[in-house]
Amino acid sequence: MKLYRLIQVVLLLSLLGAGSASAQQGVTEDTILIGALGPLTGGTAFIGAPGRDGMQLAVDALNEQGGINGRKLELRFEAALTPAESVAAAKKLVEQDKVFVLVLASGSTGAAAAADYVRSVGVPTYNIFGATPVIREPFADNVFHGAITDPRTSAAALIERLTRDGDPERIGLLAGSYAFPQANLSVIRPMLEERGFDVTVETFDQNAKDFTAQLVSFLRADVDAVLVLGSFAEAGFAIKQAGQVGLGGVHWVVDGSAVNNAIVPIIGNADGILGYYNAPFYPGQDAEPMERYLALWRAAYGEPPQGRPNIYDLTGYGSVYVLAHAIDKADDDLTWENLIASWERVEGALPSDFGGYDVVFPESFSATDHQGNDHLGTAVIQDGVWTVLP
Amino acid sequence: MTELALVLLGGLNFGAIYALAALGIVLIHKATKTVNFAHGAFVLIGALGAYIVQVQLSWSAWLAYLLVPPAVGALAALIELVLLRPLRRADAFSVVIATVFLGIALSEGVRLIYNAELLTVPSPFQGAPFLIGPVILTREVLWTVAGSLLIGIGTTLAFRRARVARGMRAMAANHRGAQLCGYSVDRTYALAWFLGGALAGVAGVFAAPAKGISPDLPIAVIAAAFVAAVVGGFDSLKGAVAGGLLLGVVETLAAAYGDSALKNAISFMLLFVVMLYRPEGLFPEVKTRHV
Amino acid sequence: MFSFKRKSTQRGSLALPLTRERRVDARGFSRWAWLAPSMVVLAVLLVTARLGSYPQYVASLVISAMLTGTGLTLLVGYARCISLATGAVLALGAYGSVLLITAAGVPLLPAMLGGALLAGLGGFVLGVPAVRFRGHNLAMITLVFQSVVIILIRESTGLTGGAGGLTVPAPSIAGISLSGDLAYLVFTAVVVALVLVLPMALLLGRFGRNLRAVSGNEVAAQAFGISVPHHLVAAFVCSSLIIGLSGALQAPVFRVIDPDTFGINTSISTLAYPIVGGMGSAWGGLAGGAVMRALPEVLRGLADYLELFFASLVLVTVLFFPGGIAGQLFRLRHRHGGQVTRESVPSAASPVARPAAGKALPDTAGIALSIDGVGKQYGALKAVDDVSFQVREGEIRGLMGPNGAGKTTLFNIVSGFVEGDRGAIRLHGETLPSGSPVTRMSHGLTRTFQHVAVFGEISVYDNVAIGLGGNGIAPVLLGSLLDPFPGGDARRERARIMAALDSVGLAHLARAKARQLSLGDQRRLEIARAIVSRPRLLLLDEPVSGVSEEETGQLGLLLRRINREQGITMLLVEHNIGFLAGMSDHITVMAAGRVVCEGEPASVIDDPAVQEVYFGKAGDA
Repeated sequence: MKLYRLIQVVLLLSLLGAGSASAQQGVTEDTILIGALGPLTGGTAFIGAPGRDGMQLAVDALNEQGGINGRKLELRFEAALTPAESVAAAKKLVEQDKVFVLVLASGSTGAAAAADYVRSVGVPTYNIFGATPVIREPFADNVFHGAITDPRTSAAALIERLTRDGDPERIGLLAGSYAFPQANLSVIRPMLEERGFDVTVETFDQNAKDFTAQLVSFLRADVDAVLVLGSFAEAGFAIKQAGQVGLGGVHWVVDGSAVNNAIVPIIGNADGILGYYNAPFYPGQDAEPMERYLALWRAAYGEPPQGRPNIYDLTGYGSVYVLAHAIDKADDDLTWENLIASWERVEGALPSDFGGYDVVFPESFSATDHQGNDHLGTAVIQDGVWTVLP
Repeated sequence: MTELALVLLGGLNFGAIYALAALGIVLIHKATKTVNFAHGAFVLIGALGAYIVQVQLSWSAWLAYLLVPPAVGALAALIELVLLRPLRRADAFSVVIATVFLGIALSEGVRLIYNAELLTVPSPFQGAPFLIGPVILTREVLWTVAGSLLIGIGTTLAFRRARVARGMRAMAANHRGAQLCGYSVDRTYALAWFLGGALAGVAGVFAAPAKGISPDLPIAVIAAAFVAAVVGGFDSLKGAVAGGLLLGVVETLAAAYGDSALKNAISFMLLFVVMLYRPEGLFPEVKTRHV
Repeated sequence: MFSFKRKSTQRGSLALPLTRERRVDARGFSRWAWLAPSMVVLAVLLVTARLGSYPQYVASLVISAMLTGTGLTLLVGYARCISLATGAVLALGAYGSVLLITAAGVPLLPAMLGGALLAGLGGFVLGVPAVRFRGHNLAMITLVFQSVVIILIRESTGLTGGAGGLTVPAPSIAGISLSGDLAYLVFTAVVVALVLVLPMALLLGRFGRNLRAVSGNEVAAQAFGISVPHHLVAAFVCSSLIIGLSGALQAPVFRVIDPDTFGINTSISTLAYPIVGGMGSAWGGLAGGAVMRALPEVLRGLADYLELFFASLVLVTVLFFPGGIAGQLFRLRHRHGGQVTRESVPSAASPVARPAAGKALPDTAGIALSIDGVGKQYGALKAVDDVSFQVREGEIRGLMGPNGAGKTTLFNIVSGFVEGDRGAIRLHGETLPSGSPVTRMSHGLTRTFQHVAVFGEISVYDNVAIGLGGNGIAPVLLGSLLDPFPGGDARRERARIMAALDSVGLAHLARAKARQLSLGDQRRLEIARAIVSRPRLLLLDEPVSGVSEEETGQLGLLLRRINREQGITMLLVEHNIGFLAGMSDHITVMAAGRVVCEGEPASVIDDPAVQEVYFGKAGDA
């Protein structure tokens, strides 16, 4: 282990030298190059592609107003699915394209592998989708986190939703066997047990469609409430099948990012299901900023397909405005050091400060806290659609 | 007892879709000796067809059952014609490889057009569920199980009786002999792919409300359908239907009374045991002697 | 006249194609071919080492993909097993090595070796079902293995970190850090260049040859002593060792390894390596791996369409360029398509080999083959019913009878493909074990097949080389690794192979692929393959079926000459009675599973019992 530490130190020193030499990379008199990576193919393409589209929307809007301090933004997005592809993409963006800032618009493991790399290079990095602790720990000066909160925050929010409308004693935990839900499970399970709940845990494989066995187990345990840790699609089919096995009168709470309104067509009548949302409104929710945002989206990409825009569209959009705040606050001499310092001074950043639409929560950072957003909206299905309560 | 009945019903609900998917694979294999790894993508396209008809065009669900299967069948026949026919002269190995990557190309094509995590289709039956004692039977589950069973059994019988199927059966029994008897290989192959594709299309329409339409559907379907086909005895139509239902039930039973995390592993255990101890499958069509 | 001389200046001689190029052996490979891939790897290193850190990072991925591809060439390209378990095998190598480092404190290199061994063990588990299953069933078994391994890794949270993955420690050897991209690239390139020599020697040597024989025709392979199960299991193990090592090498590049990285999608995308690279070529997986791993980086602009592009690339390869990249490259070098034909008759002065040297024959009073009371029953049908006869040393014995007489069953019992129920088969007094075709060759018994069964994808030379025997898995693996070194058996074998080819008139086609020969020449090749080991008994199963009349006459002459010159005893089944009568010293006639008549051709054909078998009762006619 000592050797490992030594290697780390040697590596860090050698890279520090390399880092300071190219500190102003990606910045010219009139442009700033932003790099981003995320999955565009495969099972998690619904994360990366909206992330890219959302960012591009904000970049175009900012450039139309003349950019930031006279510099236009340029977004370069690289497809990356696996950890290896993510590291390769990050290296390409940082070392070959020489981007000024890197945005990780990737799911957990891809972002984790890339995060390990960016920590060592020192490029200012904005992790906008990754929740797992691997990305967040150990704390790094150059890595910032956006709208997606860490598992402890979301766990607390979920427990609040579980106890919001009643006093459940027996709780069923239905968790996916893949990385994201497992990370949440490992946080929330001890929290629930600590509070004296009687917890029954059942797992399912990613993209599972048949939950009969798990639901029967909950029926046997006579649970009062079920918390689903997984995607909305998985939660939707689980709740739908609960009706088929007669698991009625159960309070449902759903984790994960509310991707879209797809859960409702799966279940039909689903009013009362609770969850959280990492933004103040769902796409389609009756609110002025959202209406304007949707108009912007339509103007750029046409009529959206089912499930778009989703939380990743919103987060991608909002994250560019956070970057705009940080860049704006930095001196005209844009170096990595200056950017990181100014980023740590960003307070209550909202898109409207730069003429955008406030479809995300405001983000604030400090030298010790790099988590931009800690707020999670209470989401509930009302009259057949998801709504974030004010 | 109630619990067991519920578990069995849940298993049958998914088993019925496995059965339909397996049926198409077996039918194509029986007539053309080709193992179609692109079948999962055909099912995906069938499910997408249901989405287009029911959600995008807002037509009746019944039209989906009517229109989608022949459309997917035509696509499958076209693929046979354009892509696989030139390969037939090469070896079976190349054809199998081709179907593996054809499946990926098709699914990626779908994903590129509809870039969404999940598309959903409402069930054609929304009414109140039936209650058999304490056991709940929703109309959707009843329709999925009964409907696909009807289609499965109908196909099995048709293959035994109908004139169109005679050529396919002849091909299955003796390729060269069938040719000598005047059955056209080209026509029989195209027909087999059409019917196999149509069955995948039906499976897709049934699967759409129960499973939704997502990029992972093809691999999930193909793995289950293959296990079902092998368990049934790869060349047996009734075996495919029985194998599908059995797989659905065994999976759910094992997950309910064992560990839910091992659900997939259990289906593979079933496959392994059958292959080792009854390589001809549990429901072989004809008893053949291994020479 | 065939010449062994390296510096032959003769042109137009029979042996020309073999002696013209000095360092190329009859299989068409340069003597140094097995070293070439390592050179390519080092070339990749030299080119990319000058570039930046990102190309270096990609280069180490490309080089390990080349290793993975070579492992897959062995299994997919040569043994023609569709494996959907590559992801799991890579995972075994990666997790194995990382856990050895983190949990057991093993140094990097031994840990990587350990990972490879773990993967090799996985390959053994994977290969055992291959003994029973082929084709899509085997593909399914590999899919089972893939899924089960990934589930196990995912569920062993304590050890592997579960779904969240395992952080890979920075690599170092003896205190020297390898975590820089260049350092790790150099390390990867050197390890892969060193290791690649082994699979290349296997592919280009006897093992590769035998695998292609097995995938071409299992029955014929068995008849020449190739144990199909042993070869397939060995293919799985060797391929998994290589792929496992590649997984171990990749782990530090990935930084985080998780079950998703090694999922079914990885298995499918790696399956494309040997296909795009070229199925029949030893270079296929290597070329395919390099291209398929480098392209995504080159084609980053395609982004969304990348997977569609790759799937289409494989389809286009299968459809239009079945030889893949390697096929296209080698086509530029030497183009010979279509069928090649024999231009000359056997040279009159072909070397006369001594009959079955070696083991002293036990004194069995000149009896070569003795069949005693052999019987075989299928259900109610007595296919062979208490048959006994003897074949004298050096004679050509014809075996005739109408369809269903039991000739083929008897033939298969003698050659071991069918297990007899009763009786014994003795060759020169030695009892042959029942129902084991693989051991027949070691007893000096070879055969030809009714439906021509040459190994189409390998050269004429290699077909005959397989006929030499020594096809047990241990000598084959060892031989593959030792043959590249001078002083082996290779040269002596080469002389025997060329002599056998010369005696059937195919010496000048030694380098052609067997499938390019005409049917008549394929028959000749079968004979050359069957006599090169100088067997005590040659079983000929309808050697002139489907052959033109002219060719039939020539084959007859050829067989008689071999019989005379080499003293090989022959047992011949043939429906062409004229041919049989002209060839045989004696004829045995079977009907309904029994011997009805035996004697010299003329007397047998006139025998009333035979007349009755073939034409019904004389009186009824």
